[in-house]
Amino acid sequence: MSRPEGIEFVDDDASRMHYGRDWTRFWTPAPHSIAFPRSTEEVVALVAWARDEGRALVPSGGRTGLSGGAVAADGEVVVAFDRMRDVLELDPAEPSIRVQAGVAVGEVQRRAAEAGFDYPVDWSAADSSQVGGSVATNAGGIRVLRYGMTRDWVRGLTVVTGRGEVLALNRGLIKNNAGLDLRHLMIGSEGILGLITEVTLGLTDAPPERSVLLLAFSGLDAVMPAFQALRAGLSLSAFEFFDAASVQAVAAAGDRTFPLEAIAPFHAVVEFDDPDGSAQDAALAVFEQLVDAGRVVDGLVSQSGSQADELWHWREAISESITPRTPYKNDVSVRVSRVPAFLEALDELVGRQYPDFEVVWFGHIGDGNLHMNVLRPEAWSVEDFREACNRLTPAVFELVGRFGGSLSAEHGVGLLKRDYLASIKSADEIALMRAIKQVFDPDGILNPGKLLTVER
Amino acid sequence: MKILVPIKRVVDYNVRVRVKSDGSGVETEGVKMSINPFDEIALEEALRIKEAGKAEEVIVCSIGSKDCQQQLRTGLAMGADRALHVLTDDEVQPLAAARALLKLVEKEDPKIVFLGKQAIDDDCNQTGQMLAALWQRPQATFASKVDLDGEIATVTREVDAGLETLEVDLPAVLTSDLRLNEPRFVKLPDIMKAKRKPLEEIALAELGVDAGPALETTAFEPPPKRAGGRMLESVQELVDELKNKGLL
Repeated sequence: MSRPEGIEFVDDDASRMHYGRDWTRFWTPAPHSIAFPRSTEEVVALVAWARDEGRALVPSGGRTGLSGGAVAADGEVVVAFDRMRDVLELDPAEPSIRVQAGVAVGEVQRRAAEAGFDYPVDWSAADSSQVGGSVATNAGGIRVLRYGMTRDWVRGLTVVTGRGEVLALNRGLIKNNAGLDLRHLMIGSEGILGLITEVTLGLTDAPPERSVLLLAFSGLDAVMPAFQALRAGLSLSAFEFFDAASVQAVAAAGDRTFPLEAIAPFHAVVEFDDPDGSAQDAALAVFEQLVDAGRVVDGLVSQSGSQADELWHWREAISESITPRTPYKNDVSVRVSRVPAFLEALDELVGRQYPDFEVVWFGHIGDGNLHMNVLRPEAWSVEDFREACNRLTPAVFELVGRFGGSLSAEHGVGLLKRDYLASIKSADEIALMRAIKQVFDPDGILNPGKLLTVER
Repeated sequence: MKILVPIKRVVDYNVRVRVKSDGSGVETEGVKMSINPFDEIALEEALRIKEAGKAEEVIVCSIGSKDCQQQLRTGLAMGADRALHVLTDDEVQPLAAARALLKLVEKEDPKIVFLGKQAIDDDCNQTGQMLAALWQRPQATFASKVDLDGEIATVTREVDAGLETLEVDLPAVLTSDLRLNEPRFVKLPDIMKAKRKPLEEIALAELGVDAGPALETTAFEPPPKRAGGRMLESVQELVDELKNKGLL
């Protein structure tokens, strides 16, 4: 097979294993090789070559995805953006930052902070995940409550389509009402329409000092009223909840002691603006009110930045701590007001079908997003477990549909939820998505089989 | 037995410290302030001694502006019984702090004064030692382990050569090192209780000590910016480069 000149390729087994998968472990990586373009021009050359050769391309960022969007299990060429890590410009007047697609999201956050600004979109894997991937998946994370998702911060994109066109979308403008905004079509498109090579992100002012509460709830029904009371009394930037199983997983993985005396059925890490320590009084007032109402049983508040980090750890480390148990992940969302009823119904459903399965709940609750993780019992093989989960999936998604929710709040569809898309999108919507895919990628070389099935 | 724990209000350990644009000091406006981490460790140890039934009272104290009461309240919420606040808006250097603390020691008659080994803002590492000298009592600094037995404290210290164990007669000054313990979190109900604990204000001037600065700071400047990294094409180039710099 000929290869486009000047572009670095590798195809050793270790690299193919590494670059062929994301954080999911359900598919066996089997890419053909991995290409490392260094510029938009080299990506154009790769696309032209792939069209000639009839070779599928799988764009690959930090591969921290949880839906198999970056999995290459079918002889594809992985396009890794690891050699496109330049920060091109930081404009303090707008403020905005323009970077190549391979720059880590954590790096954008650091550069913004050094310049006295903030890139507020954040999640546990920010240091490993890349900007291009975060745009392609419209990543959300822990401060969506205050700042929205990646989509809300994208000011400009350079994209190479499946036809080899280079599109400079929106060109960093803040205001630009001039017809269809293709930028937004690319955000969250999971690599099926184009390869993102450059991104301009908006920045905001440096955040005020913040403090963190760790609360223990008497039960599930206490969580939403507590959220409402805290939201009314404080300027919240995050409200992240997790259950007792999450605490046990993090404690076991990191050999840590939970800072509250007892592990309650549900906890939340609550972050709020506390510029001069004065908001702690307001936090205390809400806390007293919640204790009196029997909703909160215990609580801590951070007195320093390192204590805040330690409290955050109990939420941020959950996903990583349960990875060895090959969790069957569900990233579902419903309207905020429906969260408790939905959670109860879902818990009941899993408990009924698989009483032996251990379920770990955590999520962003303040934005209606829940992560349900079913853990593989130690005695089960990955295959048997996956099969059992697959039998569960239709019922879960049927429930999501009944509650008017989404089967992918922030992780994307990828391979994992592709076959269930019809449970939340109409046939008309899916047909239009296919038609759009056809326009941007007529040869079907871009991330085939992700999000939409390949029609043969 | 009483334990007196002096705590200092400093810029939070996690904050990126910025020098003021006019070079007159570091920026503290709108910056998160906390108890000096070493002092927090000293306080934690004092509380553990009390909880083990070896002390009756833990008193936190601080010297500085009205804002220090925030940190004193945190100390009370952690479990200290009462607080003393020596009020001044002027800069307080280690010798002045030691002189003021001596006055509090004379007033309270503690068996142990437990401080952090140094404050993370000026890194002086002097106040505890100076207080011991002024008080004419033993000192055991950089403690990584403390055992009390009646009138004797056995203290393990972290020194360059390893660990050193001292026995000191009480009353004495102890200072804490990083590995002595891990301070507790503050529970919300305890913050409520802390509001009702006594906090006594004393003007620095009333103590009748010479609190004038012994040192004059002439300028503040940030460390020089690090030069950016350079990508080299080959190992040979790296070797040549290191040789040119005389590093190989």
